[in-house]
Amino acid sequence: MKRLIVMALAMLASGCTTVVIDEYRRSSGELALGDSVVILGRRHSSEYETEPDLIDCVGKTLHNPKAGINIIPEQQFVNALYPWFEPRTAPMHIKSLDKLMDNPEVRDRMEKYGVKYIVWIDGSTETTDSAGSIGCSIGTAGAGCFGFGTWDKESDYEASVWDFRDQELSGKISADAQGTSYMPAIVVPIPLIARVQNNACKGMAAQLQEFLLPPQSASR
Amino acid sequence: MKCLLDGMTAPGKYFLIVLAVLVAGCSHTVRVDGEFPQPIGDAHPLTVGVYLSEDFQKFTYQENRDDRDEWNINTGRAQKNLFETVLGSMFKETINLNQYPTDLPGGVDLVIVPEVRELQFTMPRETRVNIFEVWIKYDMHAYDPQGEAVANWVITAYGKTPTAFLKSQEAALAQAINVALRDAGATLYTGFERVPELQALIANKQRALTMKEMETSE
Repeated sequence: MKRLIVMALAMLASGCTTVVIDEYRRSSGELALGDSVVILGRRHSSEYETEPDLIDCVGKTLHNPKAGINIIPEQQFVNALYPWFEPRTAPMHIKSLDKLMDNPEVRDRMEKYGVKYIVWIDGSTETTDSAGSIGCSIGTAGAGCFGFGTWDKESDYEASVWDFRDQELSGKISADAQGTSYMPAIVVPIPLIARVQNNACKGMAAQLQEFLLPPQSASR
Repeated sequence: MKCLLDGMTAPGKYFLIVLAVLVAGCSHTVRVDGEFPQPIGDAHPLTVGVYLSEDFQKFTYQENRDDRDEWNINTGRAQKNLFETVLGSMFKETINLNQYPTDLPGGVDLVIVPEVRELQFTMPRETRVNIFEVWIKYDMHAYDPQGEAVANWVITAYGKTPTAFLKSQEAALAQAINVALRDAGATLYTGFERVPELQALIANKQRALTMKEMETSE
């Protein structure tokens, strides 16, 4: 009974989120034993920043060596290949990889890591609208907050999957998520947070897993 | 100070303490202590002396404008680490010089002396964009062993970091500066060969080495 109450409270204490995932596939995933995938965030735009914690979330959700998906953490990869995957120097198109591979040390290190796929994630989560107000006061009788606040968040991400060995674009996955959070305050503020970025991460990771490990290879 | 406080009434003392707390609250200190990875790639066939002046190693950007809080941003240690790491991987041999132009060791082809020209930053509430941004500009000077200028070029670096829940302004700014320093290292590494005078110097050195190899093989 207690467990049910806790679950019901947890469900109530989070706002609603909708996630839409689209996929464009040019070739099926073919990860062999020892192959690795690297997930990187695009950071070249001056107007937004693909959040490092989203990249971390997708990587951690996808990482499953038993199922054949080995993810190299973003920072580890970027440090190992410094300065070739910095925002200013990172290849923007798959054709630019050719030039990068002319550098024997870069090529050696990529081979050492067993990189098969490079997944570039571009996008961000933003607060698009907010309304309401909450006022808090402290008096001799005590302290309390009253009011109601609400805000909308929107995530828009696109993941491009590059087949590093075949030097081709394997496909693209886009994730659009929207959610509204609420904060009623009757003496104590009660946040009902919509986990928009987290749901976009989970949706994208699930789709990427299907992409990289098609059902027949996942059931092996 | 003690005499001043002794001569004051109790409300006066309280006022002074509150004022001190308020003034301290508007002053921010950031110390950036970045560690940077070694670049990978071919080393240029040069022996290079690197002179990082004391001003450079202890560089602190101070800003005290009417429309902004007071900021003291120390990037000296981090930029010393960066330039030593990046320049240390760029050439066949790199010698860190404690003084320049005196006591220059023999066999040095080039001496590189960086200087900070300017540092700028913006906060999210100023730009209404949800990121902290930093720009750093370095003046790079290259001299031959006789102290004659070989080349002067500029490195501009940009770094940004998104605002994060429960992260202080100081921590976010330090993170953006580290990103900018990484960018400076990347520009220094990839842009060195694009400076015409340095390109010619590397080509001449490469030619001389090839000639020498041919002579020894004959």
